[in-house]
Amino acid sequence: MAGTIISIEGQVGEVVDAEETIAIMESMKMEMSIVAPAAGTISEILVAEGDAVVENQPLVRII
Amino acid sequence: MTGNDSFGEKWSEVEVAKAALLDAARSAAITRQHKRGKKTARERLALLFDEGRFDEQGGLVSPPNGDRADAPADGVITGIGRIDGRFVAVAAQDFSVYGGSVGAYGGAKIQRLMDQCLAQGIPLVLLLDGGGHRIQGMQDSWHFARTGTFFADMARLTGWVPIVAAVMGDGFAAPTNFAAFADLVIMVRGIATMGLTGPALVKAATGETIGKEELGGADVQVDQNGLAHLGAANEEEALAAIRRYLSYLPSNARAAPTEGTRDDPRDRSCDMLVDVVPADTRKPYDVRKVIREIADRDSVFEIQPSWGASAVTAFARMDGRAVGFIANQPMRLGGMLTAPACEKIARFIAICDAFGLPLLYLIDIPGFAIGPSAEKAMLGRRSGKMIAELAHATVPRLSLVLRKGYGGGYVAMCGGRGFMPDAALAWPTAEICPMSIEGSVDVAYRKDYEAAPEPATRRQEIIDGMRAMISSLRAAGGLGVDNIIHPADTRRVFNDVLSRAVGRRQLPMPPKFRAIAPI
Repeated sequence: MAGTIISIEGQVGEVVDAEETIAIMESMKMEMSIVAPAAGTISEILVAEGDAVVENQPLVRII
Repeated sequence: MTGNDSFGEKWSEVEVAKAALLDAARSAAITRQHKRGKKTARERLALLFDEGRFDEQGGLVSPPNGDRADAPADGVITGIGRIDGRFVAVAAQDFSVYGGSVGAYGGAKIQRLMDQCLAQGIPLVLLLDGGGHRIQGMQDSWHFARTGTFFADMARLTGWVPIVAAVMGDGFAAPTNFAAFADLVIMVRGIATMGLTGPALVKAATGETIGKEELGGADVQVDQNGLAHLGAANEEEALAAIRRYLSYLPSNARAAPTEGTRDDPRDRSCDMLVDVVPADTRKPYDVRKVIREIADRDSVFEIQPSWGASAVTAFARMDGRAVGFIANQPMRLGGMLTAPACEKIARFIAICDAFGLPLLYLIDIPGFAIGPSAEKAMLGRRSGKMIAELAHATVPRLSLVLRKGYGGGYVAMCGGRGFMPDAALAWPTAEICPMSIEGSVDVAYRKDYEAAPEPATRRQEIIDGMRAMISSLRAAGGLGVDNIIHPADTRRVFNDVLSRAVGRRQLPMPPKFRAIAPI
């Protein structure tokens, strides 16, 4: 679903677990945690706080 | 003495025939199975049953010429053992025999087992690893045209006895058709596949090249499609999940419920629940913490955690009694009811209702999902299914509004009186209304505030006025909820409601023959 990124919780180079929150999106008057689909290292952050995003849009790259 | 000798010879002949079925006698085939990263069917059964023991049946089937070596047990091991002391029937495909395909005797053995489950009310476990109808020697209308009654029998078994399917290898085609009738389907990650046709047939039929993991692995079928309900890291975990699932359910729909240990105080105060819900209605929290705190210690078993994750469906125990929790999960998509979440809840209700488990609804819902993706996923149909299942349920149910009880989703989550809950409760943090406040102000009062000298101020004014009208106290004022309870008191109140509730209710149905599933 579409929404606005209100904060990015991870940084490039950070190791994350699966299910770990990597960004918070606001949509429908709710803050929603965007969680890592798999464990790995964040190699790239593709959005900035305040960006409007749509469904299936890549937000960060985890390798 | 002669008689004894004769008996001894006969028995040793039987022992030799039985020993030939065991892994120890089939080392080459067994080594191949291990090299595939899989346990053998018999190793799996040893892990599944109490003390590793079960009574095999049909193990000695053979063609008329008596040669059992070609297809030991005809590729499927069937029998009855005990799990937690209770009888459970199992059919385990043996991949080392014709790739686990079902031959004439294998099919008859599965049929025999299903007949016993139907007649005796024994749960059925399917350990799937292999093909469907055996092609070798059986690509023949003499065998196939008549077919068996197995699918009709599987359909009759559903809701009568618990059925679990664990896919522990190739599960394309017939294994998937059988798993379709299981209450719970478990896939072993990295090994199991499901789907109606595997990559080879897809390639032959359409020319499309696709890997089996990509087509039907657990990452796809459990996490993305929701076809199967649990992904297990390995076979041990899958077998443990079968045992755990069965522990919550009676052996059949008419059997007494199982009793858990009652070592968690029945009226324990749930102090951590007091500040679990953030005051800011935009903030998420993990509703699984709430369930874990209310339920008996370590009793929560979540089903389909990775799919439809904006809702949580979990078996648990309350003062030893098995129950089903259904909760919105604010941590995922704000707790909206998406099509997968609705589908997951609908099926969970059916299982709980079939086997007499009360439904405990924890409501914090901003609404049903919106937008093109929700429509494409047929949310209109899926939400109807969830509602229809609740409407047909006969087990006790209660609802507790933790925070948001917005819109039709509130009704679908058993909020209010619609589905006659044994208790309709709210925490003081509840706010209950037909539509999210900001949304309803923009829809119904746009002209009003746009005409005002300071539209933003006027809009906020209307919002504040509305917010004052949706409190838990007003909900109780209209008898929409029976009571507003202190969060710390939740476990005690739930246990009291469950103790009082009648086991099954009679639904006021007209004299029809059956219901029809929503659009």
